[in-house]
Order: sequence, then structure tokens, then C-alpha cells
Amino acid sequence: MSATPGGRLRLALFLGGVGLHRLAAYRLDFLLGSGAFLIRVGLQTVAVGVVFRHVPAVAGWSYHQVLFLLGCALLTRGLDHLFTDQLWELSRKLIQRGEFYRYLIRPVDPLFALLSERFFHPDGIGELAVGAFLVVWSGTALGLDPGPLQWALVPLLILAGALIHASVKLFFASLSFWTVTSMPALQTATQLSEFAGYPLDLYHASLRTLLTWVLPFAFTAYAPAVYLLHGDTGLLRWLPAVTGLSLLAALALWRRGLSRYEMTGS
Amino acid sequence: MRTALRPGRYLPFATSGLQTLLQYRSTFLVTGVTAAAGAAVTVFLWRAVYADPTGPGPGGFTRESITTYLVVAQVLAVAHANRVDDEVAAEVYRGDIAVALTRPVSYPLVRLAAGLPVVAANTALVGVPLLVLFAALVPLTVPAPADAALFLLSAVLSVLLAFCVNLLTGMAGFVTTNTWGVRMAKQGVVAFFAGQTVPLDLLPGPLRALASVLPFRAMADGPLTLLLGRYEGAAGAAAVLGHQLAWTAGLVLLCAVLWRAAVARLEVLGG
Amino acid sequence: MIVAEGLTKDFRIAERRPGLVGSLATLLSREHRTVRAVDGISFALPAGSKTAYIGANGAGKSTTIKMLTGIMTPTAGRCLVDGIEPYRDRRRNARAIGVVFGQRSQLWWDLSVPDSFQILRRVYDIPDTVYARNLALYRELLDIDALGTTPVRQLSLGQRMRAEIAASLLHDPKVVFWDEPTIGLDMVLKEAVRTLVNRAHAELGTTVLLTSHDLSDIAAICDDALVVDGGRVVHQGTLHDLLRRADRRSVVFEHRGGPGPDAVVRAIGAGLPGATASVTPEGRVRVDYPADALTSRQVLGFLLDRFELADCYAPEPDLETVLRQIYRGGVPAARDGGAA
Repeated sequence: MSATPGGRLRLALFLGGVGLHRLAAYRLDFLLGSGAFLIRVGLQTVAVGVVFRHVPAVAGWSYHQVLFLLGCALLTRGLDHLFTDQLWELSRKLIQRGEFYRYLIRPVDPLFALLSERFFHPDGIGELAVGAFLVVWSGTALGLDPGPLQWALVPLLILAGALIHASVKLFFASLSFWTVTSMPALQTATQLSEFAGYPLDLYHASLRTLLTWVLPFAFTAYAPAVYLLHGDTGLLRWLPAVTGLSLLAALALWRRGLSRYEMTGS
Repeated sequence: MRTALRPGRYLPFATSGLQTLLQYRSTFLVTGVTAAAGAAVTVFLWRAVYADPTGPGPGGFTRESITTYLVVAQVLAVAHANRVDDEVAAEVYRGDIAVALTRPVSYPLVRLAAGLPVVAANTALVGVPLLVLFAALVPLTVPAPADAALFLLSAVLSVLLAFCVNLLTGMAGFVTTNTWGVRMAKQGVVAFFAGQTVPLDLLPGPLRALASVLPFRAMADGPLTLLLGRYEGAAGAAAVLGHQLAWTAGLVLLCAVLWRAAVARLEVLGG
Repeated sequence: MIVAEGLTKDFRIAERRPGLVGSLATLLSREHRTVRAVDGISFALPAGSKTAYIGANGAGKSTTIKMLTGIMTPTAGRCLVDGIEPYRDRRRNARAIGVVFGQRSQLWWDLSVPDSFQILRRVYDIPDTVYARNLALYRELLDIDALGTTPVRQLSLGQRMRAEIAASLLHDPKVVFWDEPTIGLDMVLKEAVRTLVNRAHAELGTTVLLTSHDLSDIAAICDDALVVDGGRVVHQGTLHDLLRRADRRSVVFEHRGGPGPDAVVRAIGAGLPGATASVTPEGRVRVDYPADALTSRQVLGFLLDRFELADCYAPEPDLETVLRQIYRGGVPAARDGGAA
């Protein structure tokens, strides 16, 4: 059963259920995590607000447009966070402490087995909620009126953004197969994703290029936001290709890492 | 307890702290990229606000001085990244803290001894290059010699303050297992109320009032006020240093009291 | 069921230098050396056998088990588990085996034991009847219900090991690989674990490969022994045969009348060259003799001749003594066991 796609889906749903159950069991930890997250995003929103107390627009973006962009960034990051948080553990210690073997002794795909340990990570739920709030609130303030095509595209855009986040995470976490721990590299990459929460127009051209074509975080928030705000599809056209290539690159490195692990056991 | 204060006993902790750091050389890279990215986001954002290069803009900042403020704030943040919060939280979580208590040394002082070389290495290997990098890319304000001297004094105090704040954060491990969340919250609050994301003088009235009474102001905004000469005469400088000194003393005291309480609880509950 | 043919595994190990200067030097360069952990070992274990895999620390036991479970690919040679090369067809192999690595957990760290079992039930497609039967067994023998809904990371070592052992047997595997399965278990639970695996063996014909530092585990579970030293097999056969390889034997006896125990000890020392005698705390006399210099016939003949024996037994050489002897190189190996 678990070998078929349907069986895998049922197993995933079950794991999700278990994850939600755990959420209720650790209410305090959950509240603390969400609280911390709310404080951070809250202060970030305030900081943006302070900027716009002094100027009406920054690099052509208004206050609500920037918040809309921030909301988009949180939605894609939250969705990714919900499913792939265990990759942090891979980069941090699973190889270093020799715990990775446990994904190889089960009759399921190792990547699936790995991710299954943290399905429905509670911190992701907070990000999704705040992201949705920011998008709806600023979208309403901007008088945004999406057409049916845009409505239909929204879930796909969020999914693609989350997949890009997941690919970057998987790529840098897989480096740990060679370097034992790749936490620093993953932290660095994640840190760069913070740029995605602000308009790319602010940055120097070299940084824009880096965020668009090397670590494609531009596609996780900026490209969809520009499309939804202005109907501009210049960057969005590349989204399917970028998503596919990122995913392929990450999976290829993961597979190579896995076979290296089988060779060295460490 | 008297033997706990012999400095020689803490030397091994200082060298081992540095040794651990050197083993994970990539942490310097992470600290560097994190600081550079943090500085870049705020610098890009605020330089867009001060797009007009002539004359002072909001809060009396010029384009150069606001850039200097934001970049040096990140350099200070690098000097404050002493890892004390992670290490204390981890030791409490694993229960290793009980072993640490059996040694004839004071645990907070051990952490200070282990943290200082980290601070020195971070400042030298990440902070200074970061400053040089930004100085090469964007024009910065050159401070008056007296202001620079006052800044250095104030920066040393800020390192001590950061140690206390991180020790208190790490001690949250005694009450919750989600120390990750506590550290995240601390990071956000410190970055905001120290002035790393928004110069405190630009905050609206009530927030500014709140920021001026919190201790975090002394971690970046205080030293930066001195560096950029944004104070009124000797009395103004004394007020900034006084606020810093008062909070440093207050937090040291708070650490001492809470640490005693935590140890007492540990002895009762047995970890 | 389990076959190894010239199974070999090499590792490249990075050298770290000690001290502050050392870590500075490591910043700049790393040196590597190759270590042969498993040196072309061959063996064949039949289906339904219960074999102890024995060797000193660093003898390559864990590495071999990793290759047999498909976690690691051999450098040379191959192995087969139920006809499958585990590292080639890992997922198919995984269905047929159960694994415990006592030092490391394989359960869902943040979940409770019942939740973990529910997941395993789906992962292995365990039929309801099998699941119910096994769970009832664990309730009875391992008191698994007492673990409650605590997440695995908060369990004590002993509690966790109970769950690990149960998890390794839950899907009625054809082969179980247990690496140090009784760490942290008290005597009662150790006994329960032995009962559990022996029952699985008796009812389902489960093949068992076990490593343990606790030699009483080995004696209680295993019939066969596979001894490796320096990456090579030095004994494959029954546990009984292994014990007979001891180079010293002993006889303990009680006697009536005649000279006192001390005089008896002196008489044996003089009459049986090579043998040593001592008085046990119970007042019996114990004779130890080298198996290559004296036969049991000579020793017993001598004793029967001189003393009026009231009781006499020859204890089996204990495993610990035999193994100590093997690791020292005291027992001639099947092949010479030079370290790699």
C-alpha cells in the first residue's frame, strides 16, 4: 500500500493528523513559537510603517504594496515550513550524529521518511496565518480586484514559491552528506531569503541578479506580487522553468549525497 | 564561592571557547553573511528614503550618517553574537548544567570567559571586514576623534550588556523547552529596540519613549549616538553613558539573582 | 538466508590534530588515511538460525550489519539477505528485516510510542491480525502500555529500548539484526526480550543476527556464533564448538576422608605437571589444566585414583574467557587474523 502513490498520500495524511495531534499536546511550546514569530513579523511591519511615515513611496512602492509583498513572502515560506522543517535537522546533526540511517531501513522513500518526521510543523501555520492576513488586509486597502485567472493562479503561485524554498533548503541540507553538517550554509541561504520580503527594486543590480537567477528567491514573492499588483508578467513567465530546474537540481544533489552516504556511512 | 573568582581558572574556558569556534570556521561565514544581508536590507531601504543627497532629512540624519548608523549597528550586532544564549539553553536542555555546577567555578563567569574570545574573533574576522566592505561601497561619516573614543568605551559596555541579555535568554531553558522561540523573540526585539532596523530617533512618539527606557537602546543606539556626535555637550554624552552603565549594573544584578534562583530550583528538582 | 562473500569495506578518515595550534592547522589542510573496517569476510547463515556476531570493539561488526541492512555499500565483495543484495534493493530488503541499533533511535522522536507504531503499521502494511497479535504480546512481555503518550525523546533509555525492540519485530520480519539491543534494560526486561525473540524464532522461524556486550544475552538467545577479529572471521559454528576452543579446562570436586583440601592441592600440583589447583570458597577443590598438555582422561584418572570423590563436575569454559583468549590471539584462527 505504502509503495503506491495513493498509499503514500494516505500515509502522509495520517502523519499530518499525528502532527496536528502533537500540536495540541504541546500547546505552550506552540504558543511560544507563534508568539515569537508574531513579535518578529509585527516589528518588521512596524519598521516598514516607520519608513513610510517619512516618505510616501520607496522605489515606486507604497506602504500597502510593500506589506502585500511581505505577505506573499510569508505565505510561500510558511507553506514550505509546514512540510520540510526536518531538513534543518539533516543539515544540523543527522549525518554528524549518525542518525540518518533510520531513513534507509524502512520500505519507503528516504526523502519521504525524512520529511515525515516533521509534517505540519506548527511554526509554519503562524507564518501562513500572518501572511494571509497581510495579503488580504493590504490587498483590500489597495482596492485590489483580481480577475478569475488571477484567483486561479494564486494557489499555484504559492505552491511554486514554496517548492523553490524547499528546493533551496534541500540543496543546502544535502551538502551535509559531504560536509557532515551544512547548517551554516543553510542558514546563509535562508538569511538571503529575507531579501525576498522587500521590493527587489531597492537593491543593487548585482544583488537582484543573485536573487533572481542564482538563489531564485525573487520568484517566491516579488514575481507573484508584481503580477498580482500590476499584472506585470515579465518575471512570472520564468516561474515554471525556475521552479522545475530548482527542484531538479536539489533532487539530483540529494540523490548523489544519498549514494555517497551509502559508500561512507557518514 | 571565594575560589570561584580566581581569574586563572577561567583561562582554559576562554581558549576552549575559541578552539570550538575555529573548528567550525564556517560559522564566521554565516555570521558575516547574516550581518551583511541584514545591513544591506536596511541600508538599501533607508537610502531610498534619504534619496536626496543634499542636507539633512528626517531626524536630522544625512544620507551618509544614516548609512553609518545602520552599518555600525550591524557591526555591533556581530560583536554581540557571543553564542551564550545558544550554549546555555542547550546545556540546560541536555541537563549538562548539573555537571557544570559541580565544578569549583562560577558558571556565568565560565560563560563570560568562553564568550569573550568569540566576541573578539567575530569582531576582528567579521565586524571589521564588514565595515571595510560597506565603506568601500557607500560613503560613510568619519567621526570626530573624541566621538570615536567615546564610542569605543560605550561599545565595550554594550558587549557586557549583550552578554547579560543572552545569558538571561539562555536561562529561559529552565522554564520552557522551546528555547528556539525565546531566542527568536529576543533577536527580533533586540534588533528593533537597539536601533538595528530603524534608527530610534525616527520612531513615532510612544515607540520612541518605550525604546528610550528599555535596556536594548544601550546596545546600538547609545554607542551610535556618541559616534555620530548626536548629543548635546558633555552632559549629553554623560547621559548616554549613564543610561548604559545603569542598565549594565541592573542586568548584571538581575542575572546574579535569577541564576541563584535557578540553581536553587535545580538543587531541589535535581534537574 | 544471510550470505557474505568476500565482503570488504574501506573508509577514508580525515585526521584532526589536537590542540589550538592543531585546529588552526586543520583550518588550512586535512589529511586522510584509509582504514579497512571489514576485510573480505565470508560466511553463510541458514534460515532460522540464531547467530551471535562477536568481536572486540572496532572489529567491524557495525559496518557489516550496516551492509546487511542496506545502509552501506561494500567496497568489494557482496552480501545477500533472503536472496536480495540489500544496498541494491534497499526498500525490498527493508520489508523483510527488522533492525535495532541500540545506540541510536529509529523511532519518531517527537511522537509517542503508540503513534510511532501506527505509522509503522502503515509503512509496512501490517495486517490487522498480525498487528493485534504482536501488540498483545508486547503488552504482556514488555509492558508497552506503560510508555503511554510520552514522546520518544522524553523516554528513559530503558523505556526507549523496549519500544525499539518492539518496533523491530512489529511487522514479523524474516530476519532481525539487533546491534546491542539490551542497553539500559534491567534483568527482568532483558529476560522478556529474550523470550520475545525466542518466541518469534519458534513460531515464525525468524532468523536472528545479534551483537551484544552482554554475553548472557548471547548465551540465552543464540545457538551459533560468528567471531570476527581484525576484520576477519575467526570462528563460524555453534556456540558450543566455540566454547570447546578454550585452551584451559577445569574440574571441580568434593572428596570424603583422606587428606585436607590444602594437602590435596599440593598433591595435585606435584602429581599433574601443568595443572594448578585451588580451594573454592565452598571448600571444594578446583583443578585448572591446559587442554593441549593434559587430557581429561588423565586428569580424572589421577583424581579417581588418589581421592574418594563425593561429587565432581567439569564446568563449561565461559564465553568471556574464550573471547579474551581469541582477542589476544591465543586461539589459532581459521585464517590468520592480522589487523588491516
